[in-house]
Amino acid sequence: MESSSTTELADLVRRAQKGDEGAQRDLIVAYQHRVAGFVYAMTNRSDYVEDLSQQVFIKMIRALDRLQAPAQFESWLFRLARNTCIDQLRRQKLRRIFLPFGDEHENIPEPPGAVDTEELDALRHALAQLRPQDRALLALVQEGRSHAEIAETLDTSVAAVKARLHRAREHLREHYQPDHEN
Amino acid sequence: MKTEDQAWRSLQAHASAQLRVGFADRVLRAARGPATATWTQLRAHGAAQLRPGFAGRVLRAARAVQAGVPSLSGQFAIGAATAAVCLLAVVYFHSRANRLAEERNLAGWQQLAAEVQEPDAS
Repeated sequence: MESSSTTELADLVRRAQKGDEGAQRDLIVAYQHRVAGFVYAMTNRSDYVEDLSQQVFIKMIRALDRLQAPAQFESWLFRLARNTCIDQLRRQKLRRIFLPFGDEHENIPEPPGAVDTEELDALRHALAQLRPQDRALLALVQEGRSHAEIAETLDTSVAAVKARLHRAREHLREHYQPDHEN
Repeated sequence: MKTEDQAWRSLQAHASAQLRVGFADRVLRAARGPATATWTQLRAHGAAQLRPGFAGRVLRAARAVQAGVPSLSGQFAIGAATAAVCLLAVVYFHSRANRLAEERNLAGWQQLAAEVQEPDAS
């Protein structure tokens, strides 16, 4: 069953690579929610989600013909998403250096309770304390990416991924306090 | 001795009164880290930020971006044309500067020649 869905995906990707707009649309529809969830986990900002997700998919359409292995599409797409989010966070950091007074307008925290539950608020708070690279690592695991796929995405070894993941989980647990008062 | 026990007990009672209801659950949740369901909620919250018609907007934006970016040969042609215009401008201003300098020098020599000829004539 899984291999047939992999084949279907590879077929869809091949059609999208040939410029089939219907196939491109199907790919966007199939992955938009997962990419949006990933972007939110990375940036912790609801107002960035639509814009950054759009950037990710535009990059996807423009670079799709350079993807050599259609079966690797998911890993490749999440690599694009990770890099787009990290670039955005870097730009935001630079803007904060050059426009220190813009900070209060730029970094508006989501009001407490804006995101439903205590656990969710605690997770968002904990993620915000981590480095973007660690956030990406945890979000990629939550996306169901294997250690090998993450290693390929980050251009590193599986052992390094395991070690970094262990540290990231430790850090997340340190900051994860469901009774945290905002 | 009994007083000391009572003091300890009241200290413990005071300390435990500081713990809010559900303390054990909270400790366990914090120790276990975020549950899969919490991650799912987080992703669902992110996904809910996309407005309807997202795919259509992306495709339109991608087409606009592609239309705005010239092809590789187009970029090369623009680069070559810019280089040619710059080269022509450099050649033109250089030759103009040379011509003006020559005219100035010639005028200077003519004036000098005239001044030399004047005393000879007198």
